[in-house]
Amino acid sequence: MKKLKNHVDELFKDIPDSQEKRAIKQEVLENLEEKVSDLMEFGKEEEDAINKAIVDFGDIEELKKELGMKQPVKKTHSKLNLMYSIWGSVLIIALFLFINVYYTPDNIWFVYPTFAILWWPLTMYFKWQRSK
Amino acid sequence: MIRSDIIRGHLDSIILRLILEEDRYGYEISKEISSRTDNRFQIKEATLYAVFQRLEKKELIESYLGSVSKGGKRKYYRITSLGKAYLKEMINEWNEIKDIMDLFLEGLQ
Repeated sequence: MKKLKNHVDELFKDIPDSQEKRAIKQEVLENLEEKVSDLMEFGKEEEDAINKAIVDFGDIEELKKELGMKQPVKKTHSKLNLMYSIWGSVLIIALFLFINVYYTPDNIWFVYPTFAILWWPLTMYFKWQRSK
Repeated sequence: MIRSDIIRGHLDSIILRLILEEDRYGYEISKEISSRTDNRFQIKEATLYAVFQRLEKKELIESYLGSVSKGGKRKYYRITSLGKAYLKEMINEWNEIKDIMDLFLEGLQ
């Protein structure tokens, strides 16, 4: 039965300690022990019985959620991406503007690449909006 | 074995029903579910305790420590009057769902 206790300890180890957690852990362990002794009555070896009880227990994630464990928040970099795209496009547009004004001041062509480049921050802007 | 995601949404009802019959403890409920369904559906304990937590938070069930068993005191669950009302609601909803699904799937091979 030591193995069972170790396993339950292992299952609950990420959950911050609280009265609630201790109560559930106790409850889980007791119920598992009863299951193991039931299985042994049906002729299973203790080792097998414990393994079966552990496998049947399933995934603890769900229980964690109920106990108010925050799921690791998936960090989105959408704001960073937006800032990067704005800075990047400003620099590129500035470069085109400079080349345009400096070398071909009579012909204003920098607007065309500017429109193309603006799609970048625009996309990032809406991505950022969606992630909010 | 039945696809558990479909039955999952009805676990609350299943467990409330079992507790409605009499006060029960965790392992007893999982045993009861397996035996009533002839092992066609088995609830994972982790899921079971999550449901207990949820139902208790919503005050549909409450727990108390029963008499001493082998190791220690067992934690029993009993249904509250709110739980009974909720279960009634669930039964109506289920009948509605059953009717609707029957409209489409009944009699088909």
